[in-house]
This record gives sequence, structure tokens and C-alpha cells, in this order.
Amino acid sequence: MSLKSVMSAAVLAVALLSAPAALALAPAEMVKLLATIDDRQRNGGDYKALVYLEQKEKDKTDTVREAFVYRRDADDKLMILFSRPKTEAGKGYLRLDKNLWSYDPNVGKWERRTERERIAGTDSRRADFDESRLAEEYDPSFEGEGKLGKYTANMLTLKAKQGVDVAYPVIKLWVDKDTTNVLKREEYALSGRKMRTLLYPRWKKLFSESKGADVWYPEEIRIYDEVEKANSTVILIKSIDLRSLEANLFTKAWLESKSR
Amino acid sequence: MLQLFLIAFRNLGTHRRRTLLLGGAIAGVTALLVLLNGLSNGMQATMLRSATTLSTGHVNVAGFYKVTAGQSAPVVTGYPKIIEQVRKDVPELDYIVHRGRGWVKLVSETGSVQVGLGGIDVQSEPGIRQVLQVKEGSLDALAEPDTVLVFEKQAKRLDVKVGDTVTLSAPTLRGTSNTVDVRVAAIAANVGLMSDFNVFVPSQTLRSLYQLNKDTTGAIYLYLKDVKQVPAVQARLRQTLAAAGYELMDNDPRAFWMKFEVVNREGWTGQKLDITNWEDEISFITWTLTALNGLTGVLIFVLLVIICVGIMNTLWIAIRERTREIGTLRAIGMQRTRVLAMFVFEALTLGALGTLAGAVLGLAVCLSLNSANISVPDVVAVFIMSEKLHLAINPGSVVGAMVFITACTTAISLIPSFLAARMKPVTAMHHIG
Repeated sequence: MSLKSVMSAAVLAVALLSAPAALALAPAEMVKLLATIDDRQRNGGDYKALVYLEQKEKDKTDTVREAFVYRRDADDKLMILFSRPKTEAGKGYLRLDKNLWSYDPNVGKWERRTERERIAGTDSRRADFDESRLAEEYDPSFEGEGKLGKYTANMLTLKAKQGVDVAYPVIKLWVDKDTTNVLKREEYALSGRKMRTLLYPRWKKLFSESKGADVWYPEEIRIYDEVEKANSTVILIKSIDLRSLEANLFTKAWLESKSR
Repeated sequence: MLQLFLIAFRNLGTHRRRTLLLGGAIAGVTALLVLLNGLSNGMQATMLRSATTLSTGHVNVAGFYKVTAGQSAPVVTGYPKIIEQVRKDVPELDYIVHRGRGWVKLVSETGSVQVGLGGIDVQSEPGIRQVLQVKEGSLDALAEPDTVLVFEKQAKRLDVKVGDTVTLSAPTLRGTSNTVDVRVAAIAANVGLMSDFNVFVPSQTLRSLYQLNKDTTGAIYLYLKDVKQVPAVQARLRQTLAAAGYELMDNDPRAFWMKFEVVNREGWTGQKLDITNWEDEISFITWTLTALNGLTGVLIFVLLVIICVGIMNTLWIAIRERTREIGTLRAIGMQRTRVLAMFVFEALTLGALGTLAGAVLGLAVCLSLNSANISVPDVVAVFIMSEKLHLAINPGSVVGAMVFITACTTAISLIPSFLAARMKPVTAMHHIG
């Protein structure tokens, strides 16, 4: 073997060995990445979106619902008000002081619900509509770099921080290396069983006056139930409005008035 | 008195066809009443036996634990201490068991069902073996960890057999998703409504699904030597447990799963005990008994009216036919009260004989239905909590039915009898009938 060959082999070996180290993200970088993901989706001010929820369940007719999602990120307030179909119109969820309330105009009653329960019986959760809090709730670890279709993604495993109550204690996240958009998310139960897979095929951005920067949102979220494989939900987020909302909007009275 | 009975017998014998028709009607109503009473008593007995073994004790010390105001779970913490206290306070106790409670999604390869989860220690459950009929597998296998007992209907829906693995999926007390894979250890025969919404797993499996501590359970079931002592025991436990420092919920006579809405609406956190009895826990189906009793009442009332009109009519005819006889009897010195008694005794004799025949007929039908071991349709099985029709014969209610119908027929005969007694002898003797 010539010296040139030996040198080439050595350079290649060093390059190969050092490659993962170069690609791996340091813990601080990962936390920063999560904070960036959270921040890109936050508005800081108010937020209103028109959302379509399409639910497919085994042995059941597909259902489509239309709802308005209202958020005031500064106060951690969230309201989901269903507008279609007629049977669902007026039903809603209101998050106040870490309590999730649901309202059914047919019986005129408010019920306190579990924060992590399904929204309107679909595979979606309150957290899917709320602001992203990944950096606050999870500790990340780096799993490597991988291809997801045509995208190159950083794969992270997030474990819930001690004392933080979340629906899924472990999350696997595929984050687009170029845009920092989340492409795929797998959520795991305490037992380690995969519960949901979420795909985010399209992200859009919108300039926010209150934030003075762009706000990113997934235009489409595809949720696949991994326990009951036949069930899935598609969330389409349409017509986002970042202007200020009425001051008294996040109240039970306001939601009730909308169902009359 | 004996003379009056002889006259009554003679008159009934003279008008044999009329007597048979009317007596047959009385016998029919009595038989129906005995049959419906048997059905109602049987349903009650079956419901009591099934429900008090599968989903409730005679008296229950249960409750809710709330981590936050919006998250309640049917959990009793530190149950060994409570059991110790209960043993001291309730000398009427026969035996005591504790069961975990939950609500899970049971998922197989082909389907899923939402069911109530009962966490049991099968070795220390004396009653459950008497009620559950295991069709496949064995109840003892439920002592092994991560096993499940399902009912035939659920097994069919999920398309599973003994040895197959299914997944239990539910959020923990803090709302975190969790699952446990369990092996089907036994498939039991359906027990009506109880088998539609219940499966059983070992206590430890339930605890591991909900991430509960070892000293945590869902409810403590108290079985008493005499069910009649339930109100007294329940009232006593409310006092003694409160005195021992436990916080108690206000008395709400409904099944525990119907209380989530109320409990979630309240702002408290921590533990509150709820003391209920078996009637509270199956209140959602006792309406069937009320409905059956109501229906029996209406039916019997309508039939009784028909019978009474028949008796009255028959006596009118008898009086009309025997007006001259009444006149003669009155003329030779029979008192008005004797005339009245003569007709009343006739109705009384007819009623007594008719109800006796009816009771015998009703009892015979009840006994033959029981011996035929008839399977009831699914819809009925759901409510009576049994696949088989069982009629319970209560001697007291049979005698009661006889006395009631005889009393009604006798009472209604007072009207024509009184009118017969009021007739003037001269007018009666001149009557051309």
C-alpha cells in the first residue's frame, strides 16, 4: 500500500468517525432548537383560526367538524368553538387557569374535563390546538439525522421533565434541518407503546403585528391512532387571524352567547 | 254462619255455568298476579345476586381522588386502614373485598370496546365464583399477572379467544397515556348488563395501568349477613368514618360512574369517601323493576275492575232471580243483616275458591317455567342480569294476592247485597221476575 493510499484511508477514517460527532446536536443546541420550534409558532398576542377536523373511525361514518380556535398566548387561554355540523354547533371547550371546561348547549351545562382528553371524540388533543411548549415540558436527546421523504431531519427523543404532567411522556420528533419545521411526531405511552403518529406535511407563515415577526403554523396535521390502527384524524388549519380579540372573549358567558 | 256458607255453596252449585265463568276469571287474574309477582321477585333476586357480586357490595366504601379540580379518579387511598376501621365498626359483616375501578379502551387486533375495569384478587373473592360461569379458560388463571377475564359478548366483538393478547389503554390519574398488554385468561358467560360494560383483571394489573400505589383501590365492598341491615350500617359508617377524620361526599344515591360530572364540577382536590349501598350502584336499572311493578299494578287493576263488574252483575241477576225468595225469607223473620251476609258470603266463597284455583295454577306455571330453564332474549337479559328466566315464589306474596283479590270481590258484592237487604218483604214477594 502506498503512502498516498494510507493517507487517503486515514483521512476517510477520521472523516467517517468524526461525522456523527459533527452532526450530533449538543444538549444546549437541542433545547435551543425546541425553544425555536415553540417560539416560531407563538404569536404573543391573540390568535384566531378556522379549523376543520375530519375523523375516520373503524365501522363508523367519517365525520367532519368545523371549529374556531381562539388563543391568547400571554394568558395561556384557549377556546375551541364548534360551528358545524348543526348538531355540534355551539359546543365548545374553554381553558381557564389550567382547567379545561366543555360546554354542551343542548343541556346548557359546563363540565370540567381532563386537560389531556380527546377533543370532540377525535384523535386530537387540546395540546394540538394550543401553543407549543416543548422546551418547557420535555428534555431532549439526539437520535441522529435521517431522511423523511425528500427532507433531511434531525431526530430527537423528548422525555417529559420531572413533575410535568403531559399526555405522552415520550415523544420522537423529526425536525426539518433546513426550516426547523416539525415534520413528524410520534407519541408514546408510559408503557413504551406508540400511541399516535402525527405528520405535518405543510407549514405556512404569517406576519404578526403583535410579535413583530413571522408566526408559523401547520396548515395540515394528520394524526394516526397507533392503538386502533383504523382510526385517524386530519386537522386543517385555515384563515388565521392574528388581530386582537374581544377582551371578554375567554369567558363562559361569551361561549354560551354564541350557542344561543 | 255454617248455614250461610251452605246457602252460598248451594247457590253457586245451582248456577254452575255462571260460577265457573266468574270463578275462572278470578282464578285467571290471581294466576297472572302470582306469575307477575314471581317474575318481579325473580328479577330482583337475580339482579341482587349478580350486581352485588360483580359490581357492588351490600354497602360500599368508595370515593374519588382528585389530583387537580378537573381530574377525578374512582380511587380510595390507604385502603388497609379503612378496612381495619370498617371491621371494627360493622359487626354485621359477613365478608369484605376490595376492587379497583377504571374505564379503559380494550383493543384487540380487529376491534375495540370501551369497558369498565374491575381489579380483583380472585383468590380472596368468595362470591364471584358463584355468579360467573366460565365458558373457556379458568378463573384461577386470573391470579397470574397481566391477565383478563372477558365475557362472551366482548370476546365475540373483539374476536379473541383464551390465550390471545389484548391491550388496555387508559390515562393515568395525572392524565398521562398508558397501556398494558394482557392475556385473555377466561371467557365467562354473559351476565346481562354487567357483562356489557365490565372486564376483570388482577388488582396489580389495574394498579400498574393507572400507576397507583400498593395501598390504593377503587372501592371496598362490604357483604353483610343480612341485607336488611344495609341502611343502619351505611348510616353508622358515615358517622364513624367522618369521626376518624375521613372527608365524606354528600349522599348521592346513584352509581359511582354517574357522579363524575358532579365531582369534576366541584373545586376540591384530594380524597373524599363516598358511602353507597347496592341499590344506589344499580339505580340505573332498578327502573325496570319499578316499571314491571307499575305494569303489573295497572294490569291487575284493569282485570280487577272487569272481575268486580262481573261479580256485581252476577249478583244483580241472582238478586233479581231470587227476589221472591228474599221476600219470603224476610217475611218469615230473616233479618236484613242476614240477607246481606247471605249474598256477601256467596261472593266471598266464589272469590276464595277462584283465587285458590288461580294461585295453584300460577304456582304450577312458575315451577314449570323454572324447570324449563328458559333463555331470555338479549334485550331482557341486559336488564335482569341473567341469561335465564328465573321466577321466585314468595309464599307471602301468593297469599297476599289471594287475600287481596278475594277482599276486592267481597267488597264489591256489598253494593248489590245491601240493596237486596233493603227490599221490603211485601214488595219482594209480589215481584214477578
